[in-house]
Amino acid sequence: MNNIVIGQYIPGSSFLYKMDPRSKILALILLMVTTFVLTDIIQILVLLSVLLVILKLGGIPIGRIVKGLRPIIVLLFFTFTFQVLFIKTGRIILDETLHYSFYTILLAVGVVLFWMITKRFIKFKISYFLMMIVGILSIFMYYPIGDPFAQGQLVIYTGGLQGAFFIMVRLIIIVTLSTILTLTTKPTDLTLGLEQLLKPLSIIKVSAEEIALIISIALRYIPTLLDEANKIMLAQASRGVDFKEGKLKDKVVQIISLLVPMFIISFKRSDELANAMEARNFVPGNRRTRLHILTWQTIDTITIIITAITIPVAILLRVMLG
Amino acid sequence: MITVEHVSFDYHSQPDVLKDVSFTIDKGRWVSILGHNGSGKSTLAKLIVGLLKAKEGSITVDGIVLNEETVYQVRKKVGIVFQNPDNQFVGVTVEDDIAFGMENLCFTREEITKRIDKYAKQVGMEDYLSKEPHQLSGGQKQRVAIAGILAMDTDIIIFDEATSMLDPIGRDEILAFMQQLKHQGKTIITITHDMKEAVLSDEIIDLKEGQLLTHDKTKKVLQDKVTLNKSNLELLPSLKLYHKIKEAGIVNEELRDYLWQLSLQK
Amino acid sequence: MAIKFTEVSYQYSSPDGSLFDALKNINLDIAKTGEFIALIGETGSGKSTLVQHMNALMKPSSGQVEIYGIKINHSKSKKQKLTPLRQKVGLVFQFPEYQLFEETVMRDIMFGPRNFNISKEEAKQRARKAIIQVGLDESYLERSPFNLSGGEKKRVSIAGILAMEPDILVLDEPTSGLDPKGRDALIDLFTLIHNTYHKTIIIITHDMNIVHQVASRVLVMREGELVFDGTSEALFNNESLNKWNLEEPDLIKMTKQLEQRYSISMRPFPKNIDQLFHHIKDVI
Repeated sequence: MNNIVIGQYIPGSSFLYKMDPRSKILALILLMVTTFVLTDIIQILVLLSVLLVILKLGGIPIGRIVKGLRPIIVLLFFTFTFQVLFIKTGRIILDETLHYSFYTILLAVGVVLFWMITKRFIKFKISYFLMMIVGILSIFMYYPIGDPFAQGQLVIYTGGLQGAFFIMVRLIIIVTLSTILTLTTKPTDLTLGLEQLLKPLSIIKVSAEEIALIISIALRYIPTLLDEANKIMLAQASRGVDFKEGKLKDKVVQIISLLVPMFIISFKRSDELANAMEARNFVPGNRRTRLHILTWQTIDTITIIITAITIPVAILLRVMLG
Repeated sequence: MITVEHVSFDYHSQPDVLKDVSFTIDKGRWVSILGHNGSGKSTLAKLIVGLLKAKEGSITVDGIVLNEETVYQVRKKVGIVFQNPDNQFVGVTVEDDIAFGMENLCFTREEITKRIDKYAKQVGMEDYLSKEPHQLSGGQKQRVAIAGILAMDTDIIIFDEATSMLDPIGRDEILAFMQQLKHQGKTIITITHDMKEAVLSDEIIDLKEGQLLTHDKTKKVLQDKVTLNKSNLELLPSLKLYHKIKEAGIVNEELRDYLWQLSLQK
Repeated sequence: MAIKFTEVSYQYSSPDGSLFDALKNINLDIAKTGEFIALIGETGSGKSTLVQHMNALMKPSSGQVEIYGIKINHSKSKKQKLTPLRQKVGLVFQFPEYQLFEETVMRDIMFGPRNFNISKEEAKQRARKAIIQVGLDESYLERSPFNLSGGEKKRVSIAGILAMEPDILVLDEPTSGLDPKGRDALIDLFTLIHNTYHKTIIIITHDMNIVHQVASRVLVMREGELVFDGTSEALFNNESLNKWNLEEPDLIKMTKQLEQRYSISMRPFPKNIDQLFHHIKDVI
């Protein structure tokens, strides 16, 4: 099966692709620090817009970044809700009573059911989800039908809204930064960059080269192992295992029937791989030359200088404003 | 040249995997090592490249007696292609995999790139250099493994059942490379139970239950009905018919010659 | 008919988003008993995908597969219970390592029957029967499946499926990686099971000698299409054999060479070397 892609690398030729992975990793770390130092909403929006300009210049489609945000959407939603509900500073902008009665709850449940049934036909799933939430809230707020057996108060402050927005932007920036790195750097180059950056660790007896080799072998074998796991699952399904059903006790046996073959095959594989590596003159710890080398260019130096400067600037701004 | 003298080997769980095996393989020869699963033939290959250590006896490669100190020197002379295409592909991409052995030997970068181009072309993988292993067929992976070994420029290449997991197309490709390498003057050892592979070689070594049964020129082994009967080798139909006609006393030189010729083709 | 394919296609999307046709418009009938079918074709021609439709491990993208009266197509809801079909059509995967996991051979063979709610006693009984069926003896039942040779593991994995007592036995490349002796023994075993229990057997193989030796019916897959469905005799007389990248069995290749050289005809093709010898003896 060819439908497994490791990493998100998409080929391209902009300056982001020509940069040394080391400078990209360093710049990522430096900018993350800056993002955490900044506390002002305007400043962080400036940073986001700079990032958007870089994306444009670097020829990365915004769609890919949005895709990168998808896995953390739940996280974003919860952070937002928590911030809105629990920060009680600034002006009150919304203060509504929520009526919990038999009828309003029934209506709300109806809305949820309607959403669950219809969501698969709607293309904009996130907006549709938000619409559902707004719909439920407005039922509780504006349709006080029936005798409420409980009442709640929904109070939103400007501070809460600001804080929520701020945290969202910060998270978006961090995800965007790491997405840029993984989109424009091949996994092999990323490993090599990490290896070089971790080299100083040799002082404390950590071999960066070995770590890099482990990562690259892991990268190489992930598709193979996934494919194999799939085949083992099919083989056990052919013996009547129904992975969708079963009591807890059955589930345990089902998982064992997958894991044992996986382990045994992987051990055999690693044994044979070790033989193949040794036969090709690999000796752990010995010096090796490398096919791929990294070249540090002026653009990398410039990037590091600029991103490094953002930290003191951010500290300065914070001190001045704070 | 490889000399194996009185070599014996045991695993913990299994005694007498190899029992007092001795033979010599001359430079530039193509030798098939045949035998059933469990006859010790793959163990023999691992002993020659020093992945296992013989319990008794000695192995000499190009005048170097194999031991713990010389094993790295020996591995520079002997390359080995293993059975499972997936379990010997070290690199993330084709080019990384071809480079792996050369990186270990500390070749310069220029030399590595030059050789990747040269040997990828020789095995017909030059258009796949940046492909990842899961995008390749088994036969293509084996070709990459061969390129990686050619790039290290070893004089001796061992194929340890390298074709047994391939489909007929993949197998024929690898057989063609073996013939090509033989013409380039490499010493080739193929460990196999495929007679189509064995008939192409110069010599046959037949192992049975860890013991050397026969070691002779291929043609001589195929001619000799007594040896063949003892050996349990799986004969191709042309050779079976050849011997049947010979035994039946049918005198038809022309047919016999024709069948003999057929027997030596893959 | 036990299994009936009607205009079955199967597609999956590759990483670049394009659709790949693994099966294209397959029509096929397989009888409940008595067939010995060889399924052949190049690597990637869709053989494995096809057999995985036969026990409902995969569902067609379009068209319909009917297995023992149960219709399987794309639109059917997920609730359809498909597991019972896998008892009817037993599928043995290429590598026994994919399925062996229990401490003892006995427990491993019992695993399949137990999943189909067969009682412990009955499953034990079946395990004892199955181990004999695959040509091993009862002493194997108490051994660990991981300390067996390649050929023995293969047999145990087949016993694990036989113990489910399927009507149809499907084997994906059962002889790959075995030596000639192990291969011949396994082929003899399939012939025995076929003859004694009249089960329909389907084997995927690359080895054309096996096709010639045992198959009464041959299916040829090529780029997702079923391009041939007929007897092995008809296949080896078919001019497209080369076009489909299939080799001739060694015996047939030589028979044809001899026919041409001596302008004789030896049809139907000899099944073994003795038949060929008698033919050629009469001519010369």
